[in-house]
Amino acid sequence: MSYLKLILKNPFRNKTRGLLAIVGIAIGIMVIVALGMVTGGLKASTTSTLKAGAAEVSVMQTGAGNYGSGRINESRVTDLLNISGVKETAGMLRATNTSTSGSSTTDVSGTSAETGTASTGSSPGSFAGFSVTGMDPDKLSLAGIENIDGALYSNESANEVIIGKTASTNLDKSVGDTINLFGRDFTITGVYETGSFITDAGAFMSLSTLQNLTNNDNQVSNIAVKIDENANATQVGKAIETEYPNELSTTTAASMASRMNSALNTIDTANWAISLLAIIIGGVGVVNTMVMSVFERTREIGVLKAVGWKEKRILGMILGESVVLTLIAAVIGTVLAVIGVVIILSVYFGGTIEPSFAPDIFIRAFIVAFVVGIIGGLYPAYRASQLSPTEALRYE
Amino acid sequence: MNKHVLEFKNVWKTYHMGDGLVNALSGLDLTLDEGSFTAVMGPSGSGKSTFLHVAGILDTPTMGLFRINGEETINLSMKEQARLRRNEIGFIFQRFNLLSQLTSLENVMLPMIGKDLEKVKEVLDKMGLEDKYHKRPTQLSGGELQRVAIARALVNDPSIILADEPTGELDTANANSIMQILQDLNRNNGVSIVVVTHNPASASFADEIVHMSDGKIVQKDSK
Ligand SMILES: Nc1ncnc2c1ncn2[C@@H]1O[C@H](COP(=O)(O)OP(=O)(O)OP(=O)(O)O)[C@@H](O)[C@H]1O
Ligand SMILES: [Mg+2]
Repeated sequence: MSYLKLILKNPFRNKTRGLLAIVGIAIGIMVIVALGMVTGGLKASTTSTLKAGAAEVSVMQTGAGNYGSGRINESRVTDLLNISGVKETAGMLRATNTSTSGSSTTDVSGTSAETGTASTGSSPGSFAGFSVTGMDPDKLSLAGIENIDGALYSNESANEVIIGKTASTNLDKSVGDTINLFGRDFTITGVYETGSFITDAGAFMSLSTLQNLTNNDNQVSNIAVKIDENANATQVGKAIETEYPNELSTTTAASMASRMNSALNTIDTANWAISLLAIIIGGVGVVNTMVMSVFERTREIGVLKAVGWKEKRILGMILGESVVLTLIAAVIGTVLAVIGVVIILSVYFGGTIEPSFAPDIFIRAFIVAFVVGIIGGLYPAYRASQLSPTEALRYE
Repeated sequence: MNKHVLEFKNVWKTYHMGDGLVNALSGLDLTLDEGSFTAVMGPSGSGKSTFLHVAGILDTPTMGLFRINGEETINLSMKEQARLRRNEIGFIFQRFNLLSQLTSLENVMLPMIGKDLEKVKEVLDKMGLEDKYHKRPTQLSGGELQRVAIARALVNDPSIILADEPTGELDTANANSIMQILQDLNRNNGVSIVVVTHNPASASFADEIVHMSDGKIVQKDSK
């Protein structure tokens, strides 16, 4: 039908102008989609950390600069069981292996995965680095590890390890393969998945083995605490701090998750603000493009009126053209965002953060594009529909 | 008594031009019967186009009475005016005014609400354009362009055709063939036709020639 064909073709009669309008809106849409995919991915990771089996309270050394860098005497792991409300405890030692292919380091630092929650204050190196946690294999559920593809490492054996799903993908290693950690070869006995992007990028081995390898005999960096069913995590945390003042500090998984979530909510709000900005900037571009286009087609619109087109039909045509521009921009912006986010997350973050492909991210982008198309097209469409046919026909 | 297709009684059309006023029509009186074929001649600026625009409900008179098929249009809504233009009136212009991005077929389809491809082809065939369906305006000659434009004017079976210098851009042979087409439409289909023209040869195809000057009819010649 010629009506539809006009709507589809008219925006490109002046190709440069049509493309410029599309580029303007596509950039806005790209930002909206990219931010949505990244924050969505981070959110999925934080919510997965609040699992039923995982520890509710994490204990560290008071004053430890980096979360996980402090040292606690291992005897406290059993001591804490005497505190009311504590059901189960597990000592954890956290170390970063900067290279998985030979050279390794014993410096213990950086990121934390104790309760499976990301510490956002770590340096880029440790963020992307390979972190190894030493822990009693019977207590792995406290770290959020419930399902293992393969088998657990044994406590005595010094050369067995399990690695996270992301690590397995990134290192291209699976059950039965050998991996060099801290200068020693380990056999991978299992692959686990928790949903937390930090935990899934690391590995777990026996506590005593890691203590030996990193010269941390009888020391742990953190203690994971599982509380009684009717106990309150915050109160248990306080009780621990009161019992061991100036020695132990605590955080609850819930408060870490909520801190993370509020940071993500801030990004979400920013995303909406950017969407609004995109609507305004893109809208102005569309208005400009469509006003020029209507102006140039004055005579043609006069002809359409002379052959009996109603105002509404002309209004609809211009609005349609405007929406065609913004929807094409939405497709281009979305494709660029998906490609960009996937590449950046896998190249610069080693695949530790999985982008979200939740439909609402894309639906939102297309709604924004559609709204920009309608709002941007409204004024030029109205102007076109109200043109006096005689003046339009006399227009040179 | 014959039915009147167009009736103008003391019609004025006044435009504002800077500080002053311009009377494009100043008390025009004219009645055209159903099935008539009229040529309108007159000097440039005498109000011929303005007269056609009022006749085609593209413009409203500042003052006076105007009826089309016995109906006053002044109180019609924009929508009803559009409907009248679409169903009762076919416009033909000096510069064809075809949409450059559309094919002949699509240009002729423009005035239609639905899609009646058979009807579109029928009028194009009638204009001898059966092999030009899918050509765009840039691929057609002047005479062909004007025949596509006539097909577009005819597609909704109008009762009146209003043509503003339809032969102004054509050579003598093409001009005569366009006028012949209009004459045949008038004779065979009973379509009322008004043609504005500067060209006496084109005007001679009509049954009646009216002369305009300063926004009025100053002379009528019937064959
Ligand atoms: N929109 C307008 N504003 C002001 N004056 C106008 C307007 N339209 C027409 N006129 C004036 O009205 C008068 C009649 O114009 P019109 O176009 O009807 O003449 P015409 O007989 O068709 O002339 P031509 O043979 O050159 O086409 C002219 O003086 C013209 O300048
Ligand atoms: Mg004129």
